[in-house]
Amino acid sequence: MEILRGENLSFKYAGGQGNAISDVSFRINEGELIVVMGESGCGKTTLLKLIKKEMIPAGEKIGSIYYKQTKIEDMDERTAVADIGFVMQKVEAQIVTDKVYHELAFVLESLSYKTEEIRIKVGEMASYFGIQGLFRKKTDELSGGEKQLLNLASVMVTSPKILILDEPTSQLDPIAASDFIATLKKLNKELGLTIILVEHRLEEVFSIADRIMVMEKGRIVSFDTPSNTGKFLSGHKMLAGAPKAVVLYKEMKGIGGECPVNVKEGREYILKNFDNKIRSVKEYDIKAEASNGTGDIEENAIELKNVWFRYHKEEKDILRGINLTVKRGEVFTLLGGNGTGKSTTLSIISGLRKHYRGKVFINGRKIKDFKRNELYRENLSLLPQDPITVFVKSDVYSDYADILKAHEIKNNIEERINEVAEMLGISKLLHKHPYDLSGGEQQKCAIGKILLIMPKIILLDEPTKGIDGCGKEELINIVKLLKDKGITVVIVTHDVEFAADVSDSCGLLFDGEILAKASPKEFFARNNFYTTAVNRMTRDIYENVITLKELVWIIKENMKNQKIKI
Amino acid sequence: MDYQRKYEKSENKNIKKISIIKYIICVIIIPTVIFIGTKLFDGKKYAFLTAVVVLLSCVPFIISFEKGKNSTEKMVILAVMIALSVFGRYCFSMIPHFKPITAITVITGIYMGGEMGFLCGALAAVLSNFIFGQGPWTPFQMLAWGMTGLIAGLLSRYLKKYMVALAAYGAVSGIIYSMIMDIWSAMWQDGVFNIKRYVACIISGIPTTATYIVSNIIFLLILARPVGRKLERVKLKADIIEKD
Amino acid sequence: MNDKMKIFNTYHPLGLFIYFASAIVITMFMINPVMLTIAIISGIAFVLTLTDIRTFLKNLAYEIPFFILIALTNPLFSHNGVTPLFFLNGNAVTLEAVLYGLDMGIMILGVIYWCKCYSIIVDSEKFIYLFGKAIPKLSLVLSMALKFVPVFKRQYRKISDAQKCFGYYATDSYFDKIRNALRVFSCLITWSLESSIDTSVAMKAKGYGLKGRTHFHNFRFHIRDLFLIAVTLFMDIVVFTGIGTDIIDFRFYPKITQINLNAESIAVYGAFIILMFMPAFLEIKEKIKWKYYVERI
Repeated sequence: MEILRGENLSFKYAGGQGNAISDVSFRINEGELIVVMGESGCGKTTLLKLIKKEMIPAGEKIGSIYYKQTKIEDMDERTAVADIGFVMQKVEAQIVTDKVYHELAFVLESLSYKTEEIRIKVGEMASYFGIQGLFRKKTDELSGGEKQLLNLASVMVTSPKILILDEPTSQLDPIAASDFIATLKKLNKELGLTIILVEHRLEEVFSIADRIMVMEKGRIVSFDTPSNTGKFLSGHKMLAGAPKAVVLYKEMKGIGGECPVNVKEGREYILKNFDNKIRSVKEYDIKAEASNGTGDIEENAIELKNVWFRYHKEEKDILRGINLTVKRGEVFTLLGGNGTGKSTTLSIISGLRKHYRGKVFINGRKIKDFKRNELYRENLSLLPQDPITVFVKSDVYSDYADILKAHEIKNNIEERINEVAEMLGISKLLHKHPYDLSGGEQQKCAIGKILLIMPKIILLDEPTKGIDGCGKEELINIVKLLKDKGITVVIVTHDVEFAADVSDSCGLLFDGEILAKASPKEFFARNNFYTTAVNRMTRDIYENVITLKELVWIIKENMKNQKIKI
Repeated sequence: MDYQRKYEKSENKNIKKISIIKYIICVIIIPTVIFIGTKLFDGKKYAFLTAVVVLLSCVPFIISFEKGKNSTEKMVILAVMIALSVFGRYCFSMIPHFKPITAITVITGIYMGGEMGFLCGALAAVLSNFIFGQGPWTPFQMLAWGMTGLIAGLLSRYLKKYMVALAAYGAVSGIIYSMIMDIWSAMWQDGVFNIKRYVACIISGIPTTATYIVSNIIFLLILARPVGRKLERVKLKADIIEKD
Repeated sequence: MNDKMKIFNTYHPLGLFIYFASAIVITMFMINPVMLTIAIISGIAFVLTLTDIRTFLKNLAYEIPFFILIALTNPLFSHNGVTPLFFLNGNAVTLEAVLYGLDMGIMILGVIYWCKCYSIIVDSEKFIYLFGKAIPKLSLVLSMALKFVPVFKRQYRKISDAQKCFGYYATDSYFDKIRNALRVFSCLITWSLESSIDTSVAMKAKGYGLKGRTHFHNFRFHIRDLFLIAVTLFMDIVVFTGIGTDIIDFRFYPKITQINLNAESIAVYGAFIILMFMPAFLEIKEKIKWKYYVERI
């Protein structure tokens, strides 16, 4: 049964240029799980807001959205609040009160429920989501994942008919994000809840969706099942962030009919359609390595010798004797689960925290010998997880000028800024307010700020957090650009795919130690779970295939081989 | 500009609506309390009585906020300003008594109107005492900070325009605060207002008052205009996001 | 502040508020040294059940000089009394004024201890419940502000770290420290105001602003709360009768009067003891009960 219908909907923001949404029509049935995808600025967030009455932005609207045959704007206020739930991206900002129970009760209070009724509903909801243990806690004491779960639960207390989520996992770590998506799947399967989800973690949500809506420049260009969407995408330019199986399907020009959408189907697809006579990608590797030699540099940019760290005297050690060397010009990625101390390691390298045992050398010099800010003058810089913390001024250009001033660089300010801006493709953003930029743009501008002060080492803390597929690809190019400039890059990330694409070497942080620093190839090939989707897809079919490029190469080699035989 | 006008407009409405309650409190309740109090306590122990009267004088502002029509954004911004002024204490803890609570209150008063300024100061007192301990001094702090915010709102036209006025007001607000708080310090020992003791309190508090004055001037000169711009920007942004 | 489960903490906020208001107001009105002694001893006993002895002693280091200051300065301002000890600048320093200063010092310390207990027991949650119905909007504002403070603390740290790594900090000088703190604080203001938009959108999405908003709470009123209020009010009546009828009247000026020790005044002192020692008594009773209970298991 139809629950939501859009009819020739167009929308233009007050003071905005051009339509954010143009002539969109769609139907969504009860119990469907819809994933909306598209590049940033394609209008997907605007579309979601137009479904939630209280959030409709100021602007001109033509056409309408109907919820069960009622126009959204004609809906009764209370029904609109209760029946359509909305979870936003910003985890912390959408929590209103200081106590978990008050947060859960908030919407019910608005709807004039009595304390006893609220108690029953809230109790039920807390039990369903398994957060009863948090009931009397302060909202501030929760972890990021728990906070977003609280946001979800506090919307679900009214048992909405439609749940809308705008990139709900973009500020969560991958494990919490997977849990969150699993919860959504459970809500959909067990309660038949209609869910509309904007999400850039497509590898995970692509196959659980009933239908996928693809948006481009304010229009819906495709709205179909995952497999058909995969097929559509393979004939379309926008692919960044799509599941690797779909990208493979595209690279293979749609050989073999149905488009695979996840690792399992990807495996079946390869087995069904391609040969594996040639199993090894060694030849490809040799070619690749020739083009990308770091080989003979011996200077160490960073050296950690038996470093121990704990936050407080009474607490347990976070780092227990870390050893690490990163060569000049190397791109090193540190992987590891939650709370293993990856970010702590970065803060030790960047001198923000002091280790209590062991030695740290930066560019061959003991870190303790750097006085006050010497370390940050042309030596080292850190891009924090949340790039917005980097900006001081109210537009990017003045911010850049400000950092140059702080570093006592007085000449050619404009040229320097323009050079960096062009290099990163952010010239258009220079006169914007940092808070008006998207997550990806903020990050590029923050990297630009780092480049202005020309450090020899750049540390990136979870750079792919909150960035969509497109932004990720740009980021990969930026890291390569940094490498070309001879800058040493140390990245801390959960993102296995990104690590495989970008690094010269990887290490796994576990139990306070770095286990086995190795090239991404060796590193991922020996992992069974903690590895790239392509590697999981090709396990026991091909050997040591980590990235999609390699997979495409080996499949083509096999095809050539086949043809020769024939 | 538009934003300012809207706040002022809503304020005018509020003032009319609750002026009756204000009069009732000023003309009837407070004198009654004082009368009964003096009779009851027989010329001593005025400290408690003063605390009650001071608390009562905050009530009109509280009522006018509760009864008035305030947008959700205004409420959230008020909460943010209160939290900032309380938290600011930690940021500058390296210098004793160097805290932005007055400055933030004054800024709120200037850019969001006197009523908001009063509430920002008064609630910041309550909130910070959740951390540092409530006591009979809480009402005095509420009134002292609230008044600096309220007067800033009344003078907002000048304070926005002239930096000198802003600095001068920073100094004056430091003095107002100290003088109101010293009433309490002088009174609560033996409950009677002893002018000699009051003067002694003021004199012994001069170094602290001087720090207040200096910190108020510094914070106001550095923060007032940028924060004003930030507030305007947020209001504009909120207008686009919400339909009005 | 107190992680340990305290029995007094589990009472209904209304009862607690009435109790503390009585205890603090009565203490503030007292001049009678017996009453004040009761107030301060019970206050110390209560503080000790709530915090550990180390923090108590640490605070004492500040409180004793404060106490001495009050006791000593009183004779300088007040020259009442008939028993001069010596003359200072032509003014008599009297015995009565000295003793009165001591008495006032005890009163102020007593009020401080009781306020401390109040702050620990009637936390923001109970406060917001108590005033939530009367001032719903402002209590929500307070609740939001309470949520913001720790969030700001974390964000301040993040911003400060980020800017440190950009080499903004130049020297270790005092001036530079303030400048940096100001810059980070200013960034924090931007951040917090910008995220306030999201908060207000979330509030609207959750129906804030609809008419007839109710007020959810987590407190239940039990028989024992009624009992607490009844006992408190009864003792209040006894004590206030004592004050009103001069049964426990005591004066320092012009000459120190005798402490009344007749049946009536002893009844008033007794009532005050019951009132003031109730929390400590309940706490000890609870401890014994648990000990007995555990032994039985």
